[in-house]
Amino acid sequence: MSEADTAASPLAGEREPVSPRADLITAAVLLAFGLGVVALSLHMPTFVEQSGTGLTAPGIVPGFHGTVIALLSILLGLRAVRRGGLRAGGAGGSARKDLGRLSIAAVLGVIYAAVLVGRLSFWLATALFVFAFTAIFEWPRGPQGRIRRLLEAAAIALGTGWAVVLVFEKLFFVRLP
Amino acid sequence: MLDALGMLGAGFGHAFQGGVVLHAFWATLVGIIIGALPGLTATMGVALLTTLTFSMAHSTAILVLICVYVGAIYGGSRSAILLNIPGTPASAASTLDGFPLARQGLAGRAMGISTTGSWMGTLFGALCLAVLAPAVGEFALGFQSYEMFWVAMFGIVIAGSLSGGDPLKGYIAGFLGLFVATVGQEANHAYPRFAFGSTDLAGGLGLLPVLVGVFGVAEVLNSMRGPAVQAVASKIDSILPRPSDVLRYWRTIFRSGAIGTFIGAMPGLGEDIAAWTSYAAAKRVSAEREKFGKGSVEGLMAAETGESACVPGAIIPVLTLAVPGSAPAAVLMAAMMIHGLNPGPMLAISSPEFIYQIVAMLIIADMVKLFYGLVLVRPLLWVLLIPRERLMPVVFVLCTVGAFAITSRLFDIWVMLGAGLVGFVLRELRFPMAPLVLGIVLGDLLDKNLLRGLVLSNGDITPFFTRPISAVLAAVTLLTLLLSIPAVQAGWGRGRQALQRRLRRAG
Repeated sequence: MSEADTAASPLAGEREPVSPRADLITAAVLLAFGLGVVALSLHMPTFVEQSGTGLTAPGIVPGFHGTVIALLSILLGLRAVRRGGLRAGGAGGSARKDLGRLSIAAVLGVIYAAVLVGRLSFWLATALFVFAFTAIFEWPRGPQGRIRRLLEAAAIALGTGWAVVLVFEKLFFVRLP
Repeated sequence: MLDALGMLGAGFGHAFQGGVVLHAFWATLVGIIIGALPGLTATMGVALLTTLTFSMAHSTAILVLICVYVGAIYGGSRSAILLNIPGTPASAASTLDGFPLARQGLAGRAMGISTTGSWMGTLFGALCLAVLAPAVGEFALGFQSYEMFWVAMFGIVIAGSLSGGDPLKGYIAGFLGLFVATVGQEANHAYPRFAFGSTDLAGGLGLLPVLVGVFGVAEVLNSMRGPAVQAVASKIDSILPRPSDVLRYWRTIFRSGAIGTFIGAMPGLGEDIAAWTSYAAAKRVSAEREKFGKGSVEGLMAAETGESACVPGAIIPVLTLAVPGSAPAAVLMAAMMIHGLNPGPMLAISSPEFIYQIVAMLIIADMVKLFYGLVLVRPLLWVLLIPRERLMPVVFVLCTVGAFAITSRLFDIWVMLGAGLVGFVLRELRFPMAPLVLGIVLGDLLDKNLLRGLVLSNGDITPFFTRPISAVLAAVTLLTLLLSIPAVQAGWGRGRQALQRRLRRAG
């Protein structure tokens, strides 16, 4: 395969690899998680009285998964160390790119799904979210045509709120939050 | 044979009854649009549309979802050809030759090739499904808990090995998925695992909210972070498929169809790997190898045929083993369960006609896809130009509705958000998502069969390794696992070279 398709192939890893430092931190988090799962599994009841053998204990399967996650995370950590994960300054810079846009999208999504939905009428919550999302992300385009863009955003927002209620609730009888 | 043809005919008859087939037109169109828009995947499309099918009869619902699946995999090629951005991961291989063709002013021809290849690929795969699924289903009837445990393990291992480039992270993702499936009440004693006193957690993490989060919310975040999509690359020439392309590359079409169907049938691999493998195989044997990557008709045909043949292929293990062959097939399987259908080995006995209904649905979806492939070129160009700032909030709203609708719990929206954020972070850390999804879907199967097997053998684990089919499955799983270790790969390579040298010397 050419260089281009090797780089893009999912068999070869589709994007630049993460830094060994990031892998090391991930491995530590996963190890803690795996051990936590094992500890919680060990504390589950075994129901020996009911089953007679304890072979149906609820903790067996998650304990197995937790053990495997912990072991694999140790391997990930060892590999990261071998690749220089302990050297300072190895944290990936690419992950920090566009962090601002990402944070705005995440915060708006959380406000919509966790705060607005369930407290306001669904169409209103949806319209507010779509308008805020579109307006905030289109704001940096500059003052030229901003009023028109904001009006378009408002129209899209109201249209989305109305269309979702119409299609899901009225047409397909799906209950909305 | 006659029985099968009769059931296939009945399958078509069922689809045409009462105008059910009309649903195929809007659903395939929605699928193509979802696939064409970068950032929206087939998995997300099937997950979101599942919500709309709740009130439908089960056969109509499955037809709608199959049409979305088939349409989305095909639709991805539009943006691959015109924007050099794969609309879905499955279309990544199509950018290599599709976009160069568009740059040469042959965008229409490229789309014609894509339509032809995709149409023939799905047709080939659907016929394979009709022939293979009943046989595989019958064979799988002999599977007991031991074998089903290994089927689940094999799925996780093969998906982890091949779906992301880094097997270690693939395995971790798979086991994280298996863990997610253990949250909530277990089957034997109704003990609420990892519930921490919460009645919501005791009910378990819903499959659909988790999948909508991992594929929908994470995609929205990913899309908003990356660079904006730029303008369409080319003017459109004639889009009519040329019979000469089919006749000239018939070998490529058959080869790619077979590869695509086979890879589809392997648990958890999916359309992107089918497309890449078909592309690589075509390049290896092509007489026009030098054209690959520069606008090769054969290369585009191979990629499109392979990815589209993978769709029916991925449904084969869903129907016969209750193990999905790809991420969208996993959601399709979840939708089948929601609609009260029980895919798995018993399907061939309890309702063999359903297999042929699925074949009929695939062929109908394929025909509708061909229709849109010929008439829906220019309108799709406008769709591709919708700015993400206006599209993504609407997608997020649909995700929220999709997560809520199945059980009407606000808790599911929280699950979707959590899964989306975790999924996004895992993607950033290059953990593949296919094994994670497969783990979530197969978790219950593995859980029940491991414990059932242990109870049946009174705690003895030897039947897991000594029963004939179990032993084969265990050997293949362990071999796949071993071969993914770099040191073993290097040793294997050295051993093979040494053997070849010795054979040459002896010869």
